[in-house]
Amino acid sequence: MVPMENYLVLSGIIFSLGVYGVLARRNAVLVLMSVELMLNAVSLNFVAFAAYLDPSKATGIIFAVFVISVAAAEVGLALAIVIRLFRNRSTANVDEAATMRW
Amino acid sequence: MAEHAWILAAVPGIAFIVMAATGRKLPRQGDWLAVLCALSIFALFFAVLANFLNLGEAAWPVLNSIEWTTVGDFELRMGIAVDQITIVMLGVVTTVALMVNIFSIGYMKGEPRYWWYFAVLQLFVASMLMLVLADNLLLLYVAWELVGLSSFLLIGHYWERRSAVEAAKKAFITTRLGDVGLLIGIILFWDATGSFNILEIQHAVEEGLIGDTRLFVTVMFIFLGAMGKSAQLPFHVWLPDAMEGPTPVSALIHAATMVVAGVYLVARLLPIFELAGDALTVVMVIGLLTALYSGVVAFAQTDIKKVLAYSTVSQLGFMFVALGAGYASAGMFHLFTHAFFKALLFLGAGSVILGTHHHQEMGQLGGLWRKMPVTAATFLIGSLALAGLFPLAGFWSKDEILHAVEGQGTWAFLLLAIAAIMTAFYTTRLFVRTFLGKPQDEEVASHTRETGPTMTLPLVFLAFMSIVAGFFIFHDFGTALGFPGGFSEFVFLHYPSVFHVDWGLVGLSTVLFVVGTFGGAWFYWNGRLDRSTVLAEWQPQVYDLIQRKFYFDDLYQFLIDRVVLGFSYLVSWFDRFAVNDTGVDGSANLTGYTGFLLKHLQTGRVPNYAMAIAVGVITLALISLAVGS
Repeated sequence: MVPMENYLVLSGIIFSLGVYGVLARRNAVLVLMSVELMLNAVSLNFVAFAAYLDPSKATGIIFAVFVISVAAAEVGLALAIVIRLFRNRSTANVDEAATMRW
Repeated sequence: MAEHAWILAAVPGIAFIVMAATGRKLPRQGDWLAVLCALSIFALFFAVLANFLNLGEAAWPVLNSIEWTTVGDFELRMGIAVDQITIVMLGVVTTVALMVNIFSIGYMKGEPRYWWYFAVLQLFVASMLMLVLADNLLLLYVAWELVGLSSFLLIGHYWERRSAVEAAKKAFITTRLGDVGLLIGIILFWDATGSFNILEIQHAVEEGLIGDTRLFVTVMFIFLGAMGKSAQLPFHVWLPDAMEGPTPVSALIHAATMVVAGVYLVARLLPIFELAGDALTVVMVIGLLTALYSGVVAFAQTDIKKVLAYSTVSQLGFMFVALGAGYASAGMFHLFTHAFFKALLFLGAGSVILGTHHHQEMGQLGGLWRKMPVTAATFLIGSLALAGLFPLAGFWSKDEILHAVEGQGTWAFLLLAIAAIMTAFYTTRLFVRTFLGKPQDEEVASHTRETGPTMTLPLVFLAFMSIVAGFFIFHDFGTALGFPGGFSEFVFLHYPSVFHVDWGLVGLSTVLFVVGTFGGAWFYWNGRLDRSTVLAEWQPQVYDLIQRKFYFDDLYQFLIDRVVLGFSYLVSWFDRFAVNDTGVDGSANLTGYTGFLLKHLQTGRVPNYAMAIAVGVITLALISLAVGS
């Protein structure tokens, strides 16, 4: 059996990639995709813990399902915002969407 | 009826509300309503009196009270207590109020705010009656403040005149100083006995519930209130200034009724004062000083109302001397007779002022007896009663006071005798310079005429009372009218002292009267130099001292200007700089400036925020790791 640590390391790598993407990317769509990566890393963690620590219970798996559905809703909303932004500004660059300030 | 004596206060109270609301629109601006009200309480007083006498001594004092409010276990009751002192006060107030209301119709004719004047007069009568009827100190205090308020409103009736405004303010603030003492005294009594009821407090004190020192202090606070209201040294300064008000007001409030509230209060609480160590000595010393001081100051006054005002202060001093000697009956008797002849003198002065078209400086009057015979005759009777001519009212009451003081040591008796001579002296000066001799000012004299019947009739009635009021002291006179004896037997039922004419004292009083009167007449008879001029040339500094009222007003002005205003300046500086500029504005400015600095953090760039979140999470994670290990 594959040891649990492998899953956790994989999850950590994916999460770090997501964080990097959110901080470094300027394209709003890519930022959203990076957020999805982070969410998936978390889901992977949940499932791994669920399978290894207490197989009789499905708590972690249920959480993973929750995360997936919330992520779907979030992407639906966020993409709509990105489309509005693109329509108004002809760009999806988050650096240029900086009107909400003092 | 006696247990429903509160109606006496309720009738003018209702009249005040009606007149204040509708007075301006009523026919004749409602003056008939005022006289009707005064007449009805005058009649009701006799119903109360008859019932009171019928009930008999066993039923005295007649009590009646209702629940006022309940706080926890403490039930506050509001009610009336009618005893002999109350009856005397009721008689004085209703009689003088009726006379003043009638007199005012003539005197105030055509004056501004005619309806409001009469309305406030009713408010005053209502509060004064409530004051004398109250069975507990709290209700008494409410009425005490209400009479102060009516006095304030009436002194400042001509508020277009700056001096009237100043006088009203002065009267209100000066009496308020004493009233604070009264309130503190009432609270101390309540703290010690758990009751506001006068009789209950008296019982508690008689049982020795309050320690000696504490009782003395409490009583002194109460006396402070009495001093303020009754214009005793050093609170006397407001009363002469209060003459700015309409003259009938001076007669009713500042001579006959409100200013004797202090005397009434001390007389009512005299059993408590007697138990409170040296309290009565203090009362007597204050009374003596006031009687002498204002007697002296009255010499140098040239305004007839001011002379009468200082005379009132002096006579109030006499009353306090009697109370200080422990003779409530003598004090109350002087209060009773003084109310009539002093009201008469003030109304006479009002008649003079109206008859001469507002001249009240003695230097411009003189020789008025030809032009105003009724006023002059009644004024003469009032003056003689005040000076103490046998057998007018003032003679008997002053005799009673001298008799009361006899046992208190020679010095007190001597000083009081001197004060009595001074009374006769300045009264003579006032009468001679106003009514006798040649007119000082032909211009004024040519316009002078006698006033109408609404003004002369009250004068005649009060003159009659000034003659007969003194006879109440006699046992036979009292029993003939249905009282259980003469005045002092009636008032001081439990320690009856039947009045006997002490011929030695009568002789002495007459000597005092003659010395004072003839001294005054010799100095001021027509053609002679004014004594004050002689004194002014002979001893200018002494004269200045007297005329400036021993610098009391200047001293107070100095204290107000330097001490009170200086302290207020400090307080206002603290308020402006420390509280307002630093505290209130300072914190607002600090918030604004901080916001001004911090707003630059809001860049509007999503990556910045994301970076802030990431850095925050990492920092928190490191901290939790460091703390955890």
